[in-house]
Amino acid sequence: MTQPARTRAAASRLLGETVVIDDVGPGRRSRAYPSGGFASLLLTPIALLLGGILLWPVARTVQASVTGPDGQWVGLENFRTALAAEGTWEVLGRTVLWAAVVPVVVITLGFLLAASRRSGTLLLLAPMALPLVVTGVMFRLFYDPDPARGAGTAVLTALAGLFGVPADAAPAWLGSGLITVALMSAFVWAWIGLPVVVFRAALDALPADLTDAVRANGGGRLDVFRDALWRPLLRRTAAIVFALVALGTARAFDLILVMAPGSSLDEAANLAVRVWQTSGSATTGPAAALNTLWLVALGIGVVAAAVGGRQAWPPPTLEAAPARTVAERTRWPVRRALPILIALLWAVPVLALVATSLHSPREAATRGWTAASLRLSSYGEILTQPEVIRSFGFTALLAVSVTVLVIIVALPAGYALARLRPPGTSAAGALLVAASAVPVQVVAGPINEVLERAGLAGTGVGLGLVHVALGAPFAVLVLRNALADVPGARIRAARTAGRREWGVLWRTVPAAVPAIIAVAVLEFVQVWNDFVVGLLFGGSGTPLGLMVFGQTRQFVSNSGTLAAFALLASIPPLVVIVLARRQVIAGLVSGAVR
Amino acid sequence: MTSRRAVLGGALGAVVAGATGCGRSPRPVQVAVVWSGGELVRFREVVRQYPHPVDVVSTRNDIDAFLSARYRAGNQPDVAIVPQISLIADYARRGWLQPVPAEVTRRFADQWQAMVTVDGRQYGAWVKAAHKSLVWYPADRFPEPPGTWAEFVALVRERAAAGGPAPLALGAADGWVLTDWLENLLIGFAAPGEYQGLVDGTEPWDGPLVRTALTELAAVWAIPGAFPDGIGRALITQNEESVIQVVEGRAAMVVEGDFIAAVADRFRPAGAAALSAARFPAGPRAQPLLVAGDAAMVFAGSGVGGELVEWLTRRESFRPWITAGGYLSPNTLIKPDAYGPAAARAAELSDPAGALQFDLSDQLRGSLGGPDGLGSWKILQDFLAEVTRPGAVDRACRRLVRAAAQARRETGS
Repeated sequence: MTQPARTRAAASRLLGETVVIDDVGPGRRSRAYPSGGFASLLLTPIALLLGGILLWPVARTVQASVTGPDGQWVGLENFRTALAAEGTWEVLGRTVLWAAVVPVVVITLGFLLAASRRSGTLLLLAPMALPLVVTGVMFRLFYDPDPARGAGTAVLTALAGLFGVPADAAPAWLGSGLITVALMSAFVWAWIGLPVVVFRAALDALPADLTDAVRANGGGRLDVFRDALWRPLLRRTAAIVFALVALGTARAFDLILVMAPGSSLDEAANLAVRVWQTSGSATTGPAAALNTLWLVALGIGVVAAAVGGRQAWPPPTLEAAPARTVAERTRWPVRRALPILIALLWAVPVLALVATSLHSPREAATRGWTAASLRLSSYGEILTQPEVIRSFGFTALLAVSVTVLVIIVALPAGYALARLRPPGTSAAGALLVAASAVPVQVVAGPINEVLERAGLAGTGVGLGLVHVALGAPFAVLVLRNALADVPGARIRAARTAGRREWGVLWRTVPAAVPAIIAVAVLEFVQVWNDFVVGLLFGGSGTPLGLMVFGQTRQFVSNSGTLAAFALLASIPPLVVIVLARRQVIAGLVSGAVR
Repeated sequence: MTSRRAVLGGALGAVVAGATGCGRSPRPVQVAVVWSGGELVRFREVVRQYPHPVDVVSTRNDIDAFLSARYRAGNQPDVAIVPQISLIADYARRGWLQPVPAEVTRRFADQWQAMVTVDGRQYGAWVKAAHKSLVWYPADRFPEPPGTWAEFVALVRERAAAGGPAPLALGAADGWVLTDWLENLLIGFAAPGEYQGLVDGTEPWDGPLVRTALTELAAVWAIPGAFPDGIGRALITQNEESVIQVVEGRAAMVVEGDFIAAVADRFRPAGAAALSAARFPAGPRAQPLLVAGDAAMVFAGSGVGGELVEWLTRRESFRPWITAGGYLSPNTLIKPDAYGPAAARAAELSDPAGALQFDLSDQLRGSLGGPDGLGSWKILQDFLAEVTRPGAVDRACRRLVRAAAQARRETGS
């Protein structure tokens, strides 16, 4: 019974400390122990990795965008060509729309949920554990145009019926008119867990007496929100969540490719999809120009988040954050109704997927999932394919190796940045934030050049290295924050006992074990759920994401087996997230908010 | 401290060794395909008999994007099996491919060989053919569709007006279903040479031939009640679902290739007869015989790829798929009788007097040929969406001309 309380304490403590601006943390104290050489040693692996697999490729892409085929300077010619191509502006507009609308919806819903209830985090966190390809399969089935199969369509048809629209004239979710709404709803479904846990931590860290003070001065509900919640802490948290979600919308790539029927794909495509479909993966010319535009937009997003994330209120200390009771928060009726409604909305697509998988492929295609059935033949069809089993094994090996390597690379780097603080530490922090925002499609071409030069193209090692480079920046940030929070007394004890630098590192690490678990779990889940990296850099084996994707060319006739496959592929990430939920929530809060 | 360093180093070494180990082990032969679902299962059954392990990756329709990305990454598969044979020419000219083994070339009739020959060398080997001039219908419930286009239009109009099941199912979410309709009409209405002229760029996309074909298409597609639940629903119906609609009695006919036989069988209600296939109705100029196929190409430098392609084109290799149904091949080693109930269609494919025409959109270069959301696939979907409005034919022609110009720019020709 004491465990939930511990969750709260850990989260609020992490968040409480995260409110510290920039890097004026406890780490600076260790300036007294200059150890530049050792710090460089610790930072070398990550520098090599990020330099080779992210920074150099980014520079190369930018260079390619302003040069011609023979490397000569062409100014903005490539940009003009790219923007003149039919449909480019629509695609750019849609990409911006995603980055603007989705975060607002996610933040609003997430805040309301965080403010209204304590329970149910797991239900909302679980979607984050699913591969986006699986989410796409789930919502494609949910929005199936046949009301017997698609619950979403049944609802829409019923709603249209209320307004006197006949069933065959009701708008279709997957049609070109609503496809973007359908896609965004799936994305919100998947991402809502992040703002809920982060806002919950933020709310816990707020001094309660502030609300009372505003009320005592005659402030209304809005004043309470503005002066006691928004200005002190939420503005900053919201800005950071906004940036994270906006950057995350770049990943809608998987979702769009899986969910949009061919006839609606043009109306659904964002920049990533368009570049993938039409550039022939060229790394030069107009394709590089589009990629550079994308990088610039992401850069603006990161800077805006950093500016918006500045703290406007002195950080509350841990002691000043008394746990607020549930009763106090659930005063408004809307707050009580909303979680129930959301829980229902969040559960129905999953239930539909599970029910579909329990039909034989034939029943699933002809009668829909509502018909009573309990057959395992859809699972049988998947599990009797040796290729699928091989893919499970390959993905597991890949995910575990990458996770171990990420920890090995990120832990020393996080230690160096948190405790040794060599010159340029602040810049390194900013660089890591930027690096974790780079979408891999943008730099795929130059990464390939690097891998080829290293003789690793098409090998499992090459694929793994790309994963490590993509996962390491976030891992370093989380571990740096965790190691910076280690009490100074502990470090001093380690120094006395170890004397040598390695010994100090070794003795400090146990204090960061929860953060290491969080990083490991998140990295494992990310690699397991990956689709894009496997699509672009796979070769010696087929990762699961690509395997599921390959099954999604025809939906209705395949819905039973697809649902079964999607569920099977989701089990490992779900299990690890559920088992390590406490550390993951703490890690998300610390990684997201710093 | 040394021991701890050793432990750390050892752990790192083990992980790296494990990772490299999995990279260096005898690599399975990699094959990229566009098949999914039932077809993918069948193909995996086929390659399971190959003496070495084969890894089959399905990329769905975006196989050009996939292969380009992988080739530039240096991790291209050994073999790719593609329906868009224009890709074979493109890749061969870029030097990405190696010719198929010499013994393979003799396994196909001349006109099939010619389709995959680039600058005098054969870069593709057919592993599957599709007969795309077919109208499927349940013979136990409906009479055979008529033999001419005019009668066919009249029949659809009559059935749509009569109520009951819709006369046609249409899987318009897959753009190639619509291009197949257009191509059958183009062949039926074209003078000799005009159809191929569209591939070569000598025939305009807004000329009388394309206009006539689109107008005739509109004559059927715009009939109210032609499709179950209307055009909007047809646009998000995929081709296999359209077959299920016919099998289940919600629609009377579907224009689809021979390959849907397996789908029709799989979803056939107990006791119902198998779907029958009639030829697509003849136009005023010709009885269309539209064919397509999937050709295997071998990427340059892949020895194992060449061996696999040689094996795939042997007489017995595709036996599991032939038995399961929905498979035809232009491979002359396989005699038409081997296909059982599909023998007559197989014979048509190998009949040199049959005047077969090859799928147009598969031959078009650049994005004009598709895939999803692009070129002629998307233009025909938009045409269907607004087919009841005036000026639809003009707008479709204009967009086809623009898309052709864009494709010429893309391919630099």
